[in-house]
Amino acid sequence: MQVRLSLLLALFPSALALWPQPTSINTGKTALKLAHGFDIKLSVPNAPSDLKDAVSRAKGFLKTDALAALVIDRGASAAGALKSAKSLPSLTVEFAAKNGKVKSISEEAIAPIGTRDEGYTLSVPADGSPAVLKANSTLGLFRGLQTFGQIWFDFSGTTYTLEAPIQISDKPAYPYRGFMLDTARNFYPVADIKRTLDAMSWVKINTLHWHVVDSQSFPLQIPGFEKLSKNGAYNPSAVYTPKDVKDIVSYAAARGIDVIPEIDTPGHTSVISKSFPEHIACAEAKPWASFANEPPAGQLRLASAATTKFTASLLKAAAGLFPGQFFSTGGDEINANCYTQDKQTQSDLSASGKTFAQALDSFTQASHAALRSAGKSAVVWEVLTPLHTEMVLDNPVTLANDTVVMVWISSEHVQAVAQSGHRLVHAASDYFYLDCGHGGWVGAFPTGNSWCDPFKTWQHAYVFDPVANLTAAQASLVLGGQSLLWSEQSSPANLDATVWPRAASTAELFWSGPGGDVQKALSRLHEVVYRFRQRGVAANSLQPEWCVLRPGDCDLTA
Amino acid sequence: MRLAFFAVLPGVLALWPIPTTLTTGTSILVLSSTFTITVNVPNAPQDLLDAVSRTKTYLATDNLQRLVVDRGASDAASFKASPALASLTITLQNTTSVLPIATEAVKDFSSRIEGYTLAIPNTGAPAVLSANSTLGLFRGLTTFAQLWYTWNGTVYSNVAPVNIVKDSPAYPYRGFMLDTSRNFFPVTDIKRTLDAMSWVKLNQFHWHITDSQSFPLSLPDFPELAQKGAYSVTQVYSPSDVQDIVSYAAARGIDVLMEIDTPGHTAIIAASHPEHIACSQSSPWTTFANEPPAGQLRLATPATVNFTTGLITAAAKVLPGKYFSTGGDELNTACYTQDAKTQADLKSSGQTLEKALNSFTQATHGALAKLGKNPVVWEEMVLEHTLMLSNNTVVMVWISSMNAASVASKNFRIVHAPSDYFYLDCGAGEWIGKNPTGNSWCDPFKTWQHAYTFNPLANISSSQAHLVLGGQQLLWAEQSDSSNLDSIVWPRAAISAEVFWSAKQPNGKALDGTEAQARLHDVRFRMVQRGVKAIALQPQWCALRPGLCNLDS
Repeated sequence: MQVRLSLLLALFPSALALWPQPTSINTGKTALKLAHGFDIKLSVPNAPSDLKDAVSRAKGFLKTDALAALVIDRGASAAGALKSAKSLPSLTVEFAAKNGKVKSISEEAIAPIGTRDEGYTLSVPADGSPAVLKANSTLGLFRGLQTFGQIWFDFSGTTYTLEAPIQISDKPAYPYRGFMLDTARNFYPVADIKRTLDAMSWVKINTLHWHVVDSQSFPLQIPGFEKLSKNGAYNPSAVYTPKDVKDIVSYAAARGIDVIPEIDTPGHTSVISKSFPEHIACAEAKPWASFANEPPAGQLRLASAATTKFTASLLKAAAGLFPGQFFSTGGDEINANCYTQDKQTQSDLSASGKTFAQALDSFTQASHAALRSAGKSAVVWEVLTPLHTEMVLDNPVTLANDTVVMVWISSEHVQAVAQSGHRLVHAASDYFYLDCGHGGWVGAFPTGNSWCDPFKTWQHAYVFDPVANLTAAQASLVLGGQSLLWSEQSSPANLDATVWPRAASTAELFWSGPGGDVQKALSRLHEVVYRFRQRGVAANSLQPEWCVLRPGDCDLTA
Repeated sequence: MRLAFFAVLPGVLALWPIPTTLTTGTSILVLSSTFTITVNVPNAPQDLLDAVSRTKTYLATDNLQRLVVDRGASDAASFKASPALASLTITLQNTTSVLPIATEAVKDFSSRIEGYTLAIPNTGAPAVLSANSTLGLFRGLTTFAQLWYTWNGTVYSNVAPVNIVKDSPAYPYRGFMLDTSRNFFPVTDIKRTLDAMSWVKLNQFHWHITDSQSFPLSLPDFPELAQKGAYSVTQVYSPSDVQDIVSYAAARGIDVLMEIDTPGHTAIIAASHPEHIACSQSSPWTTFANEPPAGQLRLATPATVNFTTGLITAAAKVLPGKYFSTGGDELNTACYTQDAKTQADLKSSGQTLEKALNSFTQATHGALAKLGKNPVVWEEMVLEHTLMLSNNTVVMVWISSMNAASVASKNFRIVHAPSDYFYLDCGAGEWIGKNPTGNSWCDPFKTWQHAYTFNPLANISSSQAHLVLGGQQLLWAEQSDSSNLDSIVWPRAAISAEVFWSAKQPNGKALDGTEAQARLHDVRFRMVQRGVKAIALQPQWCALRPGLCNLDS
């Protein structure tokens, strides 16, 4: 009995497999197929070219996804219903804001956070009349196009849904839904980043936090500071030129994604010593474990006036490459011993009469002032806020009100960051670090495990509560969150499989809001995996295909 | 002065697995632009000629730069003044019977000859590779191809002269297991994996081809099993696919050990033969199986015993190897206790379940014996059950490395496949649904460093040491498929290749992960050049600076 029931259920998916789940959705039980001449019509005055391109890509996916339904018969039993099904002739994409100014997706995507309008409504009638997508912004229309693309399955060349009519009204719970990529530990060619941006856009992630440089390599070519990448990139081809950056930033923006670059300071800067040894304390000092959290050691001489000036102008020059509102100056894992043992830092402190904490404060003020003069707001890791646990500071670093703080060490620090009054982004290692659980990578350490064991499963991230232990006022400081890939053990070889579909779990958490049910989410997430693969992103398997085709049958209690 | 400086640089040699004996120099030797491989083998078999041809292609296309900070730029100054190697001569010592690599590769363990000698002078005089079998020559070609780097179009070695007086494996079984049932892998994935295996001298492909979730093996005598049990019509290994894989493997010195796991791990057989499966998809699955779906062959039913022996015969008879695995892990007794049919069959035959299991196993192993094949089983068959197994049975130890000694004490030959060292799937989190706090059952992730410390003879007496055939790393595919195959397997699976080929360093010292790391980076980077997406082990900064990312450096 039980067996037969589960087989029956598995033949008919119980809900549309949209990801992230829309705010509100109503579906029917009617089969509907795309007409042979199906078209997407733009009803947008002076439609910007990036919207036209997005429509063209959406039409492409409808043709090429060719995704068979994830049920045992892969949709064969729907064939009968499809013969007599109505055909959808078109989707009308309509700019709904009366008297609103039509901007490009690219402009909307990088507007100040909190002012972006990503909502849309989508109606797909069952009677063969045109579907309608409406939004008050081109960015909202772009999000709706992604949803529309997830509705359809393929059986034997027919593109169909069994759940018409469909009514959707949708907008994000949080304005920041990100993914962080570290391109310094190992390098990723531009093509990998673009493929990742595409995948991000399919699940409505809207921020690429680009941890572009670190102690190991400096692939970013910055006008006026070319020496840094010339001496600090892994090789001459492992470089992001200003042209590459422009390419990436515009590719991202056209897909509704803002890019937040990070030049981590004052720690995580060892490789700068290859070009400017005078600015780096404890460069490649040994044993590295005394001077840094990972090799090689080396930090900017934050007490040196020349280094402070150098850093401020470096940040300003780098900021000029990126159109977005935010720029991260990092600030994590500052190693005190490195500075204690650096004669120059000690004499600079002594000459200025500053404590170390005051010097860090001045350094940070200078960096952030440089960004402000370039029109940017600063983003920092949690350690630069007063709560922080890694170093004892006499005086906390003063941060401007518009500074955004990323919580990474532990989700338990969220409350303390919120108490500081700063806006925050969830990036906690205990939920969102995609690199955890792959064993130690440091050499000569056979018993070493991942520092942040265990592996962070999609299920674990999915049940994260963004407002746990926060008051209502504090909850308003939560901008959203992101998954992160630190690349000590990653490279193009495993990028897709390590990131996807796990980063999509976080995308839904912060678009649809918390409280999702992992049991219900699983079959939809399988579909993300299978659709991504059809689109050329090698997302990882979450279960045996037997389970994929039988929702619920591989649950713990099934 | 300069030479001495080079000699102390770690990581200058990138052979994997490290040969039995090895002397190297510090000279640059350039590969001549007209370099040729002369095959001095009477009636050289085609698979040897093909292997030579592939070797020449790798030399031309690997295009791997040395893993040092300048990637070899400072070597370039020496190129003009350095001698050029014009040829490698490969010679078969024993020419009484010249057999194809493919024939040598599938011989029984005791008759496989994999050793070779290799000498590469630093004068430009021809290099010489010799062996007593084409299989040995193939292994030597693999070694030869690992010696070369490329800078600006020049292919060169920086460690000439190279002298390998002897290189032969410490253990005859060096394997890799792939599960193609939980998720399907196309033939091209398997072939790419076989290529990568051959590059590190692995010689056994343990093909866990079917399981409870899908039955991708298409057998002419039992076509309904794949028709009803494969995930789709395209996710099938046809008879010609199997032959294609077997011959591709054999030409690369790899024997295919196929497994049809019985009597457990067979739920999907119910899709075509419901009469043979007990507790088919019973719920809750946790009562009836270690993972969903539940279902086991009705081992007490004569018709099912017949069916199973027929099935195993059909699968085994077309394979050239001397071994076939009937599985035997994770037998669930509740499944049989609650199966009315099994209880009735036991009652009518007057057998206990244990006796019935013995009869069932005798029958399947008898079928293999008729084909001249030896059975391979998982450890439970000897440690948890009292069965009469023939002496030639090979036992795979998987539950824990601690169990190897118990298997040895029962005088069975052993393949090390312990989950606590060699399971490549561990550490990727829970895959069972509706269990957000679940982790991998065999946490943590098995790092290459950990696997490398494995001692094949731990707790095994010297009189039992001969029972250890070797070992393998394994990929169970609940959370794997084409998407992550390369990156989850490589370079980690190269670890057992060295543990069981080399067993110790050429200087006689125990294998040492600190020494091995730079060479393993080289394996990884060369695999990437050859189209296998091996994962990065460290930041590239570390890969180019051997030792500088060690814990204590």
